[in-house]
Amino acid sequence: MEKKIEKLEKEIVELKNKILEAENKWKRALADYQNLEKRTQEQKAEFAEFANCGIMLDFLGVLDCLESAASHIKNEGLDLSVKKFKEVLESNGVSEIKAEGEVFNADSMEAVDAQKGEEGKVLKVNKKGYILNNRVLRPAQVVVGRKE
Amino acid sequence: MSKILGIDLGTTNSCMAVMEGGKFKVIPNAEGMNTTPSIVVPDKNIVGVSAKRQQVVNPKNTIFSVKRLMGRRFSDPSVQMAIKHVPYVIKEGKNGMAVVDVEGVEYTPQEISAKILQKLKTDAESFLGASIRDVVITVPAYFDDSQRSATKEAGQIAGLNVLRIINEPTAASLAYGLDKNKNEQIAVYDLGGGTFDISILEIGDGVFEVKSTNGDTFLGGDDFDLKIIDFLTSEFKKEQGVDLIGDKQAMQRLKDASEKAKIELSSTQDTEISIPFITADQSGPKHLTIKLSRSKLEQIEEDLIQKTIEPCKKAVSDAKIKFSDIDEVVLVGGMTRMPKVVEVVKSLFGKEPHKGVNPDEVVAVGAAIQGGVLSGEVKDILLLDVTPLTLGIETLGGVATPIIKRNTTIPTSSSQVFSTAADNQTSVEVHVVQGEREMASDNKSLGRFILDGIPPAPRGVPQVEVSFDMDANGILNVSAKDKATNKSQSIAIQGGTGLSKEEVERMVNEAEKYSQEDKKKKELVEARNQAENMCYTAEKTIKDAGDKITEDLKKPVEDKVKNLRDILATASLDELKTKAQELSTELQKIGQELYKQQGANKAGTSKEEPKDKDKKNPEEPVEGEVVEDK
Repeated sequence: MEKKIEKLEKEIVELKNKILEAENKWKRALADYQNLEKRTQEQKAEFAEFANCGIMLDFLGVLDCLESAASHIKNEGLDLSVKKFKEVLESNGVSEIKAEGEVFNADSMEAVDAQKGEEGKVLKVNKKGYILNNRVLRPAQVVVGRKE
Repeated sequence: MSKILGIDLGTTNSCMAVMEGGKFKVIPNAEGMNTTPSIVVPDKNIVGVSAKRQQVVNPKNTIFSVKRLMGRRFSDPSVQMAIKHVPYVIKEGKNGMAVVDVEGVEYTPQEISAKILQKLKTDAESFLGASIRDVVITVPAYFDDSQRSATKEAGQIAGLNVLRIINEPTAASLAYGLDKNKNEQIAVYDLGGGTFDISILEIGDGVFEVKSTNGDTFLGGDDFDLKIIDFLTSEFKKEQGVDLIGDKQAMQRLKDASEKAKIELSSTQDTEISIPFITADQSGPKHLTIKLSRSKLEQIEEDLIQKTIEPCKKAVSDAKIKFSDIDEVVLVGGMTRMPKVVEVVKSLFGKEPHKGVNPDEVVAVGAAIQGGVLSGEVKDILLLDVTPLTLGIETLGGVATPIIKRNTTIPTSSSQVFSTAADNQTSVEVHVVQGEREMASDNKSLGRFILDGIPPAPRGVPQVEVSFDMDANGILNVSAKDKATNKSQSIAIQGGTGLSKEEVERMVNEAEKYSQEDKKKKELVEARNQAENMCYTAEKTIKDAGDKITEDLKKPVEDKVKNLRDILATASLDELKTKAQELSTELQKIGQELYKQQGANKAGTSKEEPKDKDKKNPEEPVEGEVVEDK
């Protein structure tokens, strides 16, 4: 009889532990799920804002080509086309990063060369950088000045 | 309890992942990238991509590849080798260990690595919205005790509690679930941004043992890019007679384009590299347009890929086994995305390697899984199964209508309302099928039952709700309930997911193979159903209209109905559509007539014709599909 009680008591403890464990796991799974939901919401909002990143980046490559064409070939029509293109990008939240003459900033610029000049200042912009809704879409590739 | 972060502290890039809800999740950094360059400007506390961007201006203070120095003495040959490759100062520090010097301040490799870890920690915390303390960090299999403890110290300096240091190849194997296999030999081929490692592991009872390692500490993706740039500059020189080497701006554009081309050629056969206005001479601006095919790229990179073969051979012979003894091959590192690399590895080891979509993330994923094992999350978590194949029922014309789609995590339940196919139909048969094919007969039949006692009503009126419920053990419960009488029937089907892997694969493959054919079949059945429906509507309209319409309006409709009914079973899709359209046109005439009469009776009320004949009355069942009556 006593043995039986002992056995049952042991079983109760085991079961209690199991319940506790199961409850913990269930709570954790629920928490994971709820956190995921919150983050999914945030990501959805972010996605809506930045969904165009990829296509905008591709367009920027085309803009680079058009701009370098315009700097080589003087043509009013071409200049107008470039202007139009830039307007469309701007109306979609894409803006150019001001770099020339500014202090080099690694958050929005990428140094591709260092040349003699004012220390830490951007001497030349090789490839323009752009921002989409306050996020760097493409850093500006710049030449930075150094002392000697 | 807080999450355990798995960290792949790499030579060129670092990556982190975490277990969440029993699944791993790679965590993007603050810049939104899944990998972070292992580059640090210690005096300014700049880490990652920003540090990389200012490298050119600040080469002496920008520390990269510090992993090569971890826990090594200054006199170590590999440190001496590293000195030749980096622009920053490496010198002898305390106890003869290698340290870096930035603006006269000494930093140990641990301190530099700690800054990388700190950034990862901060970014992970802001992503997860929870604080991180416990981590698992990976190191190369060849790391000795001193290098391992240095890595651990780096974690401590970053304020982390390093629960465990695990080998990178072990982590990669974990990511592919190979720990569940028994007594196997595994080869892990890791070709990353800057280093190549091959490791031979043996697994027994869930424990990994490193049998041998080999590799090339200065071979990686960057070398592959350089080869492409070399090719492009020499081609350009051949064509245009202009040497681009020395033109830093042009070289930068070439570098960007080369990387892009390399990535593109992993999924396409050809690409065109075009850089307009790359340079100019007396004759005017010059443009670079060079076509590069995958086979040409493979030719260019051939010797680099070949360089990985010798270390593999050595590692296998050091492990005292033969290539044929290797049971599993795992690919790690971004360069293993290149099809040629996969091909070479495959032919070398004689088997298909494990490769994921993101080979540069597998090590971090493995570390996260190890973290999950330590926290008990992985070991005991009830691994939620998924339904391997779509479950559904057979509806009018033998179409398989899905109720639970494949890959749905179980337990799950789903229901849909159906109706009858004929007037006064008092019973429906529910035929449960499993598979991806469009027609029920091509799928696997799991069971069937009949729900009877439906009160007589015109077709489409009764509402029969069919519910599927699959519990965590894969037992499928299907029930059908007549909403009017609440009468219901159900069956339980054991082992709805209990198909063998091969069987599932076969069924999925077949579905893909026959998808076009099946779609056509389904379209035909749907057209037939629609045509039949049209006949029914026409007959009903004529019957309801009674003597309100004249014989010469009635006759063509009746003829068309007969016509359509005659060919219903045999006609082609186009034929059915045309005939149904013809009937519809005739039928509209009756409709017009009826409205005209109605308009004449109640002048002034709506003259509007129904815009959509098929528009459902809201009281009718939501689904237009009908349970087949057999």
